Amino acid sequence: MNSNTEKNEAGATSEYQENLNILRQIDFFSGLPLEATKVFAYLCIREKFKSGDFLFQQDEEDEQAYYIISGSARLLHVDDGQEFIIRDCEEGEFLGRLALMSTMSRLFSLRARTDMICLTITREKFTKALEQFPDLMPKLIRVIVENIYSWEKRFVAHRTVDCSDCFKEIGVSLV
Amino acid sequence: MKTEQPPVVKRTLWSWVLTTNPKLQFLLIFIILFTVFSRVVPLEMQKRIVNEAIFLRKIDLLLIYCGVYLVAVIAQGALKFLINYIQTLIAQRALAGMRKDLYHHILTLPLSFFRKTQPGLVVSALTTELPLAGNFVGMAISVPVTNILTLLAFAAYLLWLNPLLALVSLSIYPVVVVLLPILQKRANQQNKRRVDTSRLMAGKIAEAVTGIHEIHGNGAYWIENNKFDFLVDKLMRIRILWTLYSQTIKVLNNFFTNLSPFLIFLLGGYLAMKGQLELGSLVAFLSAQEKLYTPWKELVAMYQVQQDASVQYARTMEYFDHEPDHLIEPSDREPYVFRGDFDVQNLSFLTESGIHLLDEISFSLGQGQNLALVGFSGSGKSTLAQCIGQLYRYTGGHVLLDGKEVEELSKKDITRNVGFVSQNPFIFSGTIQENLLYGCLANTGGGQNGGSDRMPTLDDIIAVLQQTGIFVDVLRFGLNTVLTIDQDQELAARVLRTRESFQASFGEKLAEYVEFFDENRYLYFSSVAENLTFGAANRDEFNPINLPQNTYFLRFLEEAQLTRPLLLLGTRLAEQMVDILVNMPPDKLFFEQSPIAPEELDDFRKIVERSKKAKLGQLEDADRTKLLELALRFTSGIHKTVALPEVLEALILEGRHLFREKISADDPDAFTFFQMTQYIYSQTILNNIFFGKINIFNPFAQEKINQSIVHLLIEEDFLETIIEIGMQFEVGSKGDRLSGGQRQKLSIARALLKKPPVLILDEATSALDNKSQTRIQNLLENRWKGKSTLISVVHRLDIIKNFDKVAVMKAGKICETGTYAELIAKKGLLYELEYGKK
Repeated sequence: MNSNTEKNEAGATSEYQENLNILRQIDFFSGLPLEATKVFAYLCIREKFKSGDFLFQQDEEDEQAYYIISGSARLLHVDDGQEFIIRDCEEGEFLGRLALMSTMSRLFSLRARTDMICLTITREKFTKALEQFPDLMPKLIRVIVENIYSWEKRFVAHRTVDCSDCFKEIGVSLV
Repeated sequence: MKTEQPPVVKRTLWSWVLTTNPKLQFLLIFIILFTVFSRVVPLEMQKRIVNEAIFLRKIDLLLIYCGVYLVAVIAQGALKFLINYIQTLIAQRALAGMRKDLYHHILTLPLSFFRKTQPGLVVSALTTELPLAGNFVGMAISVPVTNILTLLAFAAYLLWLNPLLALVSLSIYPVVVVLLPILQKRANQQNKRRVDTSRLMAGKIAEAVTGIHEIHGNGAYWIENNKFDFLVDKLMRIRILWTLYSQTIKVLNNFFTNLSPFLIFLLGGYLAMKGQLELGSLVAFLSAQEKLYTPWKELVAMYQVQQDASVQYARTMEYFDHEPDHLIEPSDREPYVFRGDFDVQNLSFLTESGIHLLDEISFSLGQGQNLALVGFSGSGKSTLAQCIGQLYRYTGGHVLLDGKEVEELSKKDITRNVGFVSQNPFIFSGTIQENLLYGCLANTGGGQNGGSDRMPTLDDIIAVLQQTGIFVDVLRFGLNTVLTIDQDQELAARVLRTRESFQASFGEKLAEYVEFFDENRYLYFSSVAENLTFGAANRDEFNPINLPQNTYFLRFLEEAQLTRPLLLLGTRLAEQMVDILVNMPPDKLFFEQSPIAPEELDDFRKIVERSKKAKLGQLEDADRTKLLELALRFTSGIHKTVALPEVLEALILEGRHLFREKISADDPDAFTFFQMTQYIYSQTILNNIFFGKINIFNPFAQEKINQSIVHLLIEEDFLETIIEIGMQFEVGSKGDRLSGGQRQKLSIARALLKKPPVLILDEATSALDNKSQTRIQNLLENRWKGKSTLISVVHRLDIIKNFDKVAVMKAGKICETGTYAELIAKKGLLYELEYGKK
């Protein structure tokens, strides 16, 4: 028996390996070399939220990104004390790419609708790890740009007549 | 008090000789006179023994002279010892005096001095440059006096024996006296260069240590190595030259002193042949002349020490010869107590290179008002705050505090009235409490009495901790403290009572956040070792870190068939961690979820390499121990890179029961097993209250747990005690065990605790999260409003809306002043800062 098969005896899948598989499906990480993805997968943490918990709140800097492993959450915006529902975020969604790149306070809140499990990574961990792989930055920027571009493209394509006011404000991809 | 002395940097080396223990110096001279006398006596005795005792065959005289000889020799030894002792005493006292005075002086030097001075240089000056000067002070009187007197005594003796020969042999010395200083001058030059280069090197080392993050971050080892190696090589060349010159002096001196017997042979031999000198006299003369060498050599060595010491001493004192910018404390009055009215007129700050960092700034601020300084980076807002806080000396204009010029106030007037919090506050190693009270303690002036009444009470401290929001952190430190058995039985008993109330009132509510210590379940948030022993070790050899070497425990692992699966687990862990982290810098952040510490990673990398080549059974014992240690540390709830196989989990649970049976039979006192009714000394206070460990880390759960705990502690009247324990938390060197936010909160609390009439915050909340920042902002706007005049340098514009005044700075000037609303309405610079250029 050689040492390799010996090790495989212990073979249950670890959380880290599961994380690695998840990250490789997220556009933000999928194009990166395995060496870097491994580090990100290792630095991720699983967090449990109970129905009604906030994942993040408007005007706060939570400085992390979320991947929803299970459960769903509601994206809200509060204006003058009134709560507006934007949409629901479901299993498999990845939110907060921009929060990984720079400081900004949230413009929305995200509240768990069911009990949830999320994979999270903080900006501090992300940026410190990224410092070790400086060549990755251009790739990540390209992904972000593609994200913003396709978002706006979708928005323009799907606009309806009653949205004529908000239509004047668009052009995020032109910033 | 001693009489007025000039500042230490103006003192000459000789002044230390004269002022360090004059009484001892005097005693020394007295002893030396005896010594010189005791040195001549044996010579005379020698002569008398031969001429009188032996020649006249008088036994009694022989005995007497031999006795005197013996006494003289013993006295010589004893006196020599006494002289050395007194010399050392003087030298060390002088050194201690120099060190203290210089250090006290250095601390008062202005910040501008430290801006351009490497810390390593100061260390090097205080530690390595002064000892030689101290030694010199010890020798300065005794050595020359002893040797000159001895020299004179022997010279006189020689002249008495034979004037002509004496004059000839003494003629050598004037030549040496002329040559010596010429060579010494060169040695001195090298010595100066040596001191300077040593300093550069010390500075370089300190710089590299301080900047180690940047070096690791950039992998810039070779750059730093090159810089350092260059200095070391330079120093090496200088030291070689310096030593060469010093040695040349010694060699030359030896050569000349050895010449003098040669002259005596030549002249004395000639005279003896001519029959003008008896052979016996020549021999006697030669042996007496030899005695001249030792004192002469000592004198020359002394001369060299004096030269080296003077060079180093002068170099050191020159460097620190700066005046403090401000008087430390007023001599003729009590420090002022100010109301806090500011009037700034045409304030300018010009750097040495002629750049206007501040340019004609004027504003006024009434008592209790607050002012926000905003502007682009480099606009001079921090400099302005520092000038107002007397940290920098402004070069023009006026800063009037209650009508008094800040520049002319003493430091004490400022520290009594102004709380200054800088952007990167410094935290000293020590406890949180020591850091909190730092400012208050400084104000008491270290006086023996009258200090305590001005120190804040525990209630004051707790109030400030709550206001600044560091309360929760201190509470957590307190709860995370591990009590020791002999420390506080009473405290442990109270924790146990709290555990009962916790179970009664919060047990259910928090049940899902806590993994309780349950005998029949595997604990995912405890290590493998803790899972196996399920108790607190009462003896050192059973402590978790010692288990991998504990033969009893190792035997147990074999019996429970755990050795092999644990080794496999260890190997798997090591492989994974090495694979992921091998190229990562040793940052704490990367190792939080790793069972391997940064400094161990390289060892494990080598072990993994070896384990790939060999079977488990063939690994060396040391490697097996390390792998076992790693497996025993493994905590599956935290270290997620490897899954805990179900089989192993079951085996460990089984092992837990086996171990308990075994050790209860063999060594019942070794462990205290986890029991509801018993305090667990290996666990933190919090884990003891829970009788378990928290199993969730998200901030909402954390918040809920905190609230419950605070609630519980208040009910049990236990909160203050835990806070007091928490304040004993050691913050580490430079506060490295605190987060950036905690350091800032601590430093704000430190300033507030002084209750100063003036508060200057230089981007003091930059590392805080939104919530903490808002909390501090509310505190300043409500509690402190009207009590303290506040000047706040602000980098984030969302907190300035309620300030009385906002001043926008650009290029060293205040461009606009007004309330936030006014300035925004004006659509000027502030508008531009807030919304970007339109």
